[in-house]
Amino acid sequence: MENVAAAGLTFDRKKILIFLLDHIIEVCLIILVVGLAFGANGFLTWANWMNILRANSLKGVIAFGMTMVIIAGLIDLSIGSIVGLAGVIVALACRDLTAAGVNLNLACIIGIGLCLLQAVGTGWLHGFFQHRTGMPPFILSLVSLYVFLGLAGRLSGGFPIANQFPEWFNQLGGGRVGGPSGIPIPAIVLLLAFVIVWFIMGYTTTGRATYAVGGNPESARLSGINVGKTKIIAFITVQILAVISGLMTAGQVMAGTFTFGKGWELDVIAAVVVGGTSFTGGAGTVWGTLVGVIFMGVIGNGMTLLNIDIHTQYIVKAVIVFLAVLLSSYRAQVKA
Amino acid sequence: MSVLQIRTEHIIKEYPGTRALDDVSICFDSGRVHALVGKNGSGKSTLVKIFAGAIKPTSGEFYLNDEKLHFNSTSDAYAQGIVSVFQEMSLVPGLSVAENIFLGRLPKKHNAVDWRKTYQMAGLLLQQMKVNIDPYEQVSRLSMWQMQVVEITKALSFNPKVIMLDEPTSALAQNEVQNLFDAVRALRDQGVAVIYITHKLQELPQIADTVSVLRDGKLVGTVQMKEVNHKDIIGMMFGEVNIQSRPTDIKVQDELIMEIKALSRHGWYQDINFKLKRGEVLGIAGMLGSGRTELLRGIFGADPVDGGEVVIEGKTYKSANPTKMVEAGLGLTPENRKIQGLILAHSIRDNLCYASMNITADGWLENKRKRNSFAERQVKELDIKTSSVDAPCESLSGGNQQKVVVGNWLNTSPKIMLYDEPSRGIDVSAKQQIFEIMWAQARKGVSTIFVSTELEELLEVCHRILIMRHGQIVDEVNPDEISVNELYEICMRGD
Repeated sequence: MENVAAAGLTFDRKKILIFLLDHIIEVCLIILVVGLAFGANGFLTWANWMNILRANSLKGVIAFGMTMVIIAGLIDLSIGSIVGLAGVIVALACRDLTAAGVNLNLACIIGIGLCLLQAVGTGWLHGFFQHRTGMPPFILSLVSLYVFLGLAGRLSGGFPIANQFPEWFNQLGGGRVGGPSGIPIPAIVLLLAFVIVWFIMGYTTTGRATYAVGGNPESARLSGINVGKTKIIAFITVQILAVISGLMTAGQVMAGTFTFGKGWELDVIAAVVVGGTSFTGGAGTVWGTLVGVIFMGVIGNGMTLLNIDIHTQYIVKAVIVFLAVLLSSYRAQVKA
Repeated sequence: MSVLQIRTEHIIKEYPGTRALDDVSICFDSGRVHALVGKNGSGKSTLVKIFAGAIKPTSGEFYLNDEKLHFNSTSDAYAQGIVSVFQEMSLVPGLSVAENIFLGRLPKKHNAVDWRKTYQMAGLLLQQMKVNIDPYEQVSRLSMWQMQVVEITKALSFNPKVIMLDEPTSALAQNEVQNLFDAVRALRDQGVAVIYITHKLQELPQIADTVSVLRDGKLVGTVQMKEVNHKDIIGMMFGEVNIQSRPTDIKVQDELIMEIKALSRHGWYQDINFKLKRGEVLGIAGMLGSGRTELLRGIFGADPVDGGEVVIEGKTYKSANPTKMVEAGLGLTPENRKIQGLILAHSIRDNLCYASMNITADGWLENKRKRNSFAERQVKELDIKTSSVDAPCESLSGGNQQKVVVGNWLNTSPKIMLYDEPSRGIDVSAKQQIFEIMWAQARKGVSTIFVSTELEELLEVCHRILIMRHGQIVDEVNPDEISVNELYEICMRGD
């Protein structure tokens, strides 16, 4: 009898431990928010929170696609270059097509269409080559990073292309719903992207296939799952989200600049990892990534409010990423 | 040269539920190749692991030249000059032969590696082995037998008294085997006691001086190779076998469900033709490397084929892939369930529903309730022992993991099931349960192809048995009219 009770108790303890480890990031976020609410002036104001959202949505949107890619056991480093390229393409379309007599609105929409086409094409190529040749996705997307950075630089001649967009384009990155102190549009896009990817990963066969492919591609293949298609869908998703991010970024400053988004890939990956997604593939949640994005945003904002310089901020962020990975390794051990 | 002996006295090794070694007293002499044979699970590897210091016997003693041995770890065994060469290659492909031989203990001069001495010593050792391998050569450029010889040379560099070789020829081509044998004989002639584990009986007359046969953990006997033949050894290996009979109510239907026409994959199997009827349990027997696994994978579309076709219910498939074959009603439980059959970190529920993903979903939308009920049904029907379907698959025992692999397929309501070594590494009762599942499915009209190294299993389970040798189907037998010994003989013949 006692043994049975003891076994039940230890089992429950393990369950509680796993639950805590699974939700440690939420707990940390709450502690952080409470702490900053008392410690930092102006933290708990509507304006500040809208500011956090606006500042972090541009990268955050991409993080959901990156989550999908990492769960599938892959990685896409090229997204930073895609952000810059998207702005340049639309700016060029607006400038050159109107010069050829096309209506400005139409020219802008053609530009956006071209960006999306590029996103689908690049995602498809990534998936196709990775699957067919077994090339490491790290290297493959590193190649794309350089190619598209170079391409965007050439297309733009190395300078920002400013003041070409129609008025409404500014709304994408700078607009707010509900007046000048309302909710920023990028924040709404962030939420939409979250809901869509969360739904795909949790409620569709594509989501199940993505987890399976990341968990063990050979078992997935022998279960009849179309591994190549699954990888391509993940790669295309992150590329499309990078384009959307690029459009918002360009809209915010009303210019297409090829260096926009440079280095973002690492910030995005950091947010995904802090959100608990495993780099080995097959495990992770889209919700975790949302929390990870907000967490990184809040901590950056808090440190700025506390007048901590940007260099120290990097170090603090590094420590957070390190602890997050440490925790997820520990979690994997506890579960096994 | 004085004769050295390694011997055991009344060794017993018990595992929960089984006795892997039962009162084994055996003696190995130096300067001889002493072969150890027996079926899977006969206790060969357990004995070798005890000599290697990897496990301790439950009771009994073992001696090296009357000196009693106590090993707490494998390094203790090395210190006594007992080394083993295992099937899995432990060489680093990117390094040279000499570096591999002295890996972790390269000779040094003034704290720097003494490369000249390294290559000199390696060259000397290779000369002793009477092989022509360049110590400067990168290991990845060697052929399989050369790698195996380098592995043995590495063992030789420890100046061993006893060398244990575990199935050294299993990965070698026919012509390479002779080269390896030359090396083994060179080893023997230097006065090393060679313990040679194999399942290939045709090798014994060429390489073995003495043969010991183990069966069910007991030593059946030790004989001089000169004095016996194949048949004697097979008799010792199998003894009197009681084949359990399959249920009589499973009838093969007349309707043809699948036909394999001239299926070939270069280097693996050629011109395979056979027919499968509805409700039939068809066995494929053959030794390791006969092409059985590759054939199953070819039929399932897991590997490309060079020619031929698979016809399922009148529909022809020429270059298939698993996705297409699953739609056609096929299921495959692969040879290695952990690497090919399961996603170990994922839950039992998920693993039970990957193959049936499109069936449990409503279109592209997941139906969690339906998925749950599919998973629960298999847990119940297959008697999978777990506290919860949410538990990760890695928490299950081998037998239960295998049942999850099978359940994953049963959820697709397959028409044809391909089983590749389904009973490997699982206990007797789980094995019996797997057979019961096959029969239950056969009653429902599901056809089965069953590949196994365990010939008794094939005789027990199948309606008909095809025999594969060197990538070809060489014979077809009726399990009711043949004994295990005869079946074994046909599988080995001509090798």
